[in-house]
Amino acid sequence: MLQFLIRRLIGAVVIMFLIGAFTFFLFYAVPQDFAALSCGKNCSPENIAVIRENLGLDQPITTQFWNFMVGIVAGRDFAVGHCPAPCLGVSFKTGDFVWESIMDRFPLTLSLTIGGLIIFLLFGLGTGMLAAWKRGTVVDKIASGASIVLSSFQIYLLGPIVLGILVYQTGWMENPKYVPFTEDPAAWFIGLLIPWVVMATIFTAQYTRMARSTMIEQLQEEHVRTARAKGMSRKYVFFRYAWRGSLIPIVTIIGMDLSSLLAGGVVTEFTFDLAGLGRLAVESSVTKDLPLTMGAMLFGAFFILILNILVDIAYAFIDPRVRLS
Amino acid sequence: MKPIRSRSVRAIAIAAVAGSLALTGCSSNSGKEGKDQSKSKDDAAQQSKPVEYGDAKASTGPAAPVAGAKPGGTINVYMQSDMSHMDPGQIYVSDAGQFSNLVHRGLTNFQEDENGNLTVVGDVATDSGQSSDGGKTWTFKLKDGIKDEDGNVITSKDVRHTIERQYAKFIFDGPTYVQTWLSGADYRKALPDGPYKGKHLPDSVLETPDDKTVVFHFDQPRPDLPQALAMAGYSIVPEKQDTKEKYDKAPAALGPYKVADYKAGKSLKLVKNDQWDPKTDVVRHQYVDGYDFTTTIDQTSQTKRLIADQGEAKNAIQWTDSVDPAQIQDVVTDPAVNKRTIKGYQPYVWQMSFNLDKIKDKKIRDAITYAIPSQAMIQADGGKYGGELAGGLFAPTLPGFDPKYDPYGKLKKPNGDIAKAKELLQEAGVKDGTKLTYAYSNSPRGQAQQVIIKDALAKIGFDVQAKEIDRATFYEQIGKLDNPYDLYMTGWGQDWPSQSTVVTPVYDGEQIADGSPNYSHINDPQVNKLIKEALKLEPAEAAAKWEEAHHRIVEEINPAAPVYYSKQIQLFGSNIGGAKYSTESSYIDIDDVFLKQP
Repeated sequence: MLQFLIRRLIGAVVIMFLIGAFTFFLFYAVPQDFAALSCGKNCSPENIAVIRENLGLDQPITTQFWNFMVGIVAGRDFAVGHCPAPCLGVSFKTGDFVWESIMDRFPLTLSLTIGGLIIFLLFGLGTGMLAAWKRGTVVDKIASGASIVLSSFQIYLLGPIVLGILVYQTGWMENPKYVPFTEDPAAWFIGLLIPWVVMATIFTAQYTRMARSTMIEQLQEEHVRTARAKGMSRKYVFFRYAWRGSLIPIVTIIGMDLSSLLAGGVVTEFTFDLAGLGRLAVESSVTKDLPLTMGAMLFGAFFILILNILVDIAYAFIDPRVRLS
Repeated sequence: MKPIRSRSVRAIAIAAVAGSLALTGCSSNSGKEGKDQSKSKDDAAQQSKPVEYGDAKASTGPAAPVAGAKPGGTINVYMQSDMSHMDPGQIYVSDAGQFSNLVHRGLTNFQEDENGNLTVVGDVATDSGQSSDGGKTWTFKLKDGIKDEDGNVITSKDVRHTIERQYAKFIFDGPTYVQTWLSGADYRKALPDGPYKGKHLPDSVLETPDDKTVVFHFDQPRPDLPQALAMAGYSIVPEKQDTKEKYDKAPAALGPYKVADYKAGKSLKLVKNDQWDPKTDVVRHQYVDGYDFTTTIDQTSQTKRLIADQGEAKNAIQWTDSVDPAQIQDVVTDPAVNKRTIKGYQPYVWQMSFNLDKIKDKKIRDAITYAIPSQAMIQADGGKYGGELAGGLFAPTLPGFDPKYDPYGKLKKPNGDIAKAKELLQEAGVKDGTKLTYAYSNSPRGQAQQVIIKDALAKIGFDVQAKEIDRATFYEQIGKLDNPYDLYMTGWGQDWPSQSTVVTPVYDGEQIADGSPNYSHINDPQVNKLIKEALKLEPAEAAAKWEEAHHRIVEEINPAAPVYYSKQIQLFGSNIGGAKYSTESSYIDIDDVFLKQP
């Protein structure tokens, strides 16, 4: 296991480097002048030259890339001060350290993800298992039907509808707002409730369908039928054999969803006017803020790689065959 | 001022002398019906007059109280993107300009009367300045009792520092008028490191004979100096507080509010500055305890929240965003909501700029001007609340605006005059199918308008090749002298209520350069001569020269077809008091707002 971990971590570092290099050079493949984009109203050639120098864009691209990579490991000095490692540079637009900007946005993204995850796992997996347990009954039909309808919804459609009813029409709730949990847990909870519920509704539907189908599939496996034939109770077989067997695909999907949510739930953040990592990534890309885009990309990639490794570890715990191989 | 780069990018000192308040009837919005409350532009000419310069009496605080104003509470501010800058030296657009009015103070400021007329008054200075030597020398005396947020007294050294730091390289986004007037176009060479390595401008340029006196020396008369110094970009940066690049994140306040917390791209919190003395300020109030900015709420959400007027939205205002064009009808047709709007002109004139290096025949330019369906172009930008038909290139917010001026009949034939256009093209010998390259910004407005332009010009026989340009780089692309395009839509508005800040940057042939806003590359000796003459005259005397230049530009050269004047409509919550349209900013007058129920 240790060897496996070391191998995967080294691979992750290499992939991170490649993603960084790819993003960096891809930006420069587009023929545009970042200094001109930052120069506001006085776009004289003299002013553009001043900005180019201020941003370090007057240096060769390879030097800029080298400085960027060195900064991640050793930190860098800028006009606005020393940027400690892991230094992802300074935003062209705001002049803030990229790492600080990311850390500032991350708590909201983490809160959105964790809250939503708890809701959609509880309800999604629960409803899916119930539907599989009650296969063919009215309960199954309602659960399956509802999940098909709800999974065809999108956050950008459902979000404004929920806001329209709960906030704009009835005034029962305030607009979503992020308050740090450490500041006021109640305000944190209330402020994110609508985004959680909307996000979870979509995901719940998807997880319901997935849990139901994988459970049904598992229940038809030969080892499950053998267990039943040996006289084990339906409940015991359901949870001890079928549930465990269905976890592999579910954990895989959870890992993928979790990593993309942690990298930034763009649609959720824009729908509810929240400032998380997704918004940061999109806005930095739109404004051609190279350091911020690089930072957001690398941060997202970090979670995707880490969660992939965790999913692989989880496989080993769930399925003894993985451990043995 | 400068071109409109996006809806959020507005000018700061868009002072409008023309009394746009009276023109638009915004402060007394009855909310009875969905009709545009704007009065006729016919009123504009007689109400237009050059800005006045106030004396010491006019500059002495405190500001007149606002009827019914109560102290206390916090106003919520909606913005769709972050404040562009907080360092005065970097401030040139309106979001930061509004911010500056709460936090910063300059030597001078604009004061607006109840009719929307503007007077330049002393802000940190005792009056709007004393000129001598035929307008080449300007002297300002500082008021007593002006302190920064830490209690440091502001002296003439701080004013000198403010001007000199604009020469440093880290200041690149603010206005350049005063530096250029003092040290020429290459002003940075006069003080390459700003004041940070112990060097200063010579006394023959900028003089501080004592702690209370500042003297500017120019090589030619600069009658507009008091107005230029009222720009947010020239607000005072105390020498002791200057942290150079870091100042943009944590500026020291001289105004009624100071920065308590700032999170880039997310939020900004302003609280009362207890070192601000109302007796020294004839313009600002300090009614509310503070302002909470959220800079992630897009225009659509802002409008929805304010229409609904629930919870915290009751205490909210739009900052420099306007009502979402798609929801304008919901706003203006509901009397209760319409009552909570301000409406007025913006200082921008949208014009179809011709690249004179490519379209050299005036008859062709005239033909295109006649063919453009201005009304349809307005519809693509929010309809009658987004714009109004333009006959000339001076906005209604400029002194001397003539609402009847319409040499191309754009007001009479808002959908274009195709017959006249075809006649002119025939005279010019233009064949059917002649190619024209039209560059447009890939904003929703730009995309909608390019369809209209293509259709209109196809009707008169042109084969229009529409070239889409990223909105972030649009003005940079068309600002290149060797750009490959024949025509493009541009917007421009004044920096202060003087034609000098429109005619000089946009139509002066001596300003032609890469990145210059002279997008048409017009270089007419007569226009250039008139500009030179007008710049040396006092505003009242200069008006006739500017008007002469305007007529020459529009009628004799036609470098840009007038299309429409930009308009403004903003919403605020039901608990906001004192909200009215400001002719100075073209947004909600931020100096007078309060909460009805704090």
